[in-house]
Amino acid sequence: MIVTSSDQVSRSTLFKRFPIPKTLGVAADSRIGQGKTWPAPVGAVRVKSFEIYRYDPEAGENPRVETFEVDLDGCGPTVLDALFWIKNTVDPTLTFRRSCREGICGSCSMNIDGVNWLACTRFISDLASPARIYPLANMRIIKDLVPDLTHLFAQYAMIEPWLHSKAPAPESERLQSPEERGKLDGYYECILCFCCTSGCPSHWWNGDRFLGPAVLLQANRWLVDSRDEAKEERLDSLEDPFRLYRCHTILNCTRTCPKGLNPGEAIAEVKKMMIERQG
Amino acid sequence: MSNSTARRPRPLSPNIQIYRPQLTSVLSIVHRITGVLLSGFAVWLVVWLSAAATGPRAYAIVRGVTASWIGQTLLLAATFAFFLHLCGGIRHLVWDTGRGFKLRSIYVSGWSMVAASVVLTAATWAAGLFVAAR
Repeated sequence: MIVTSSDQVSRSTLFKRFPIPKTLGVAADSRIGQGKTWPAPVGAVRVKSFEIYRYDPEAGENPRVETFEVDLDGCGPTVLDALFWIKNTVDPTLTFRRSCREGICGSCSMNIDGVNWLACTRFISDLASPARIYPLANMRIIKDLVPDLTHLFAQYAMIEPWLHSKAPAPESERLQSPEERGKLDGYYECILCFCCTSGCPSHWWNGDRFLGPAVLLQANRWLVDSRDEAKEERLDSLEDPFRLYRCHTILNCTRTCPKGLNPGEAIAEVKKMMIERQG
Repeated sequence: MSNSTARRPRPLSPNIQIYRPQLTSVLSIVHRITGVLLSGFAVWLVVWLSAAATGPRAYAIVRGVTASWIGQTLLLAATFAFFLHLCGGIRHLVWDTGRGFKLRSIYVSGWSMVAASVVLTAATWAAGLFVAAR
């Protein structure tokens, strides 16, 4: 299948997951057990099963997968609606982040049917049966579908995502031409949902030192900003075998961005700047 | 926090165990695997050349192994791996110039390199068998 837009749902893939043992490389306390099934309410006609990753930090037990049978007639059209239906009518302890419910805040990013996406912009009708809902891949889990993003935001802080100016502050606003402003298109729209970084195999294996697609896209956003005066220092900081160059152009990032942005291309632009400044 | 009991570390959510294989990630791992396989076949190439330089008896032994059905299957695999790695390498060179990053381009170039590898492998073997038959 030729994918032309990241919101296209893969249906024709031969394998739903890589043919490896489910416990390969998984630490003992991260192995996923089998949880219980919560049946649909009596009288429900249109029922769909959701297999959902659960982890309770206070139980002292391993994570597990529980099956919820959702009454589609009592529930809105998106995955987030299904999660709300479960929380409101079946199990109030189901925990997930959400805020805007319209793809703007980036809170409800999670792994849906094996692909990272926002729960609020994925339709239930596009899901497999049963649907599989996991937290963002390769994250330390605080509870259920809530990942600990501390490390990712620390990596974001490392690129100093604010305007660096050496000249004294001007009397009025710092002006940009429409062309200069246009260079930020495709970068400023990033909502930091970290779907891309969590879907990047290189970040899975080297996430402690590789910055990952989301942060590198932001790095490029400041490198191309006409008002910023720290381009050389920013490139110096990125010129590192791990921080930038662990990107092997796998491009899972571009495939999974819920905003249709292109982190892979942004990273290629940064690599090009590295070559160009060598003359 | 003197009263706190030993905290259980937070579990790591699954990554490769659940993430859906996509053309992007599959061709990336294929590029690596074919690279490793080709290193192995390079050793066999050296053995073959050394045998040819040593003399008729040594060459006959190596030729016997290569001509067996196992040898032929491995040779076919090596040809396919070679072309996959070659086409993948060209794809990476284009990306290094900053081109071909639109999602459509990524998928078109990906499937094209797979198709090209199949065609080139078939063509190479057809040519080889044609020459061998003459």
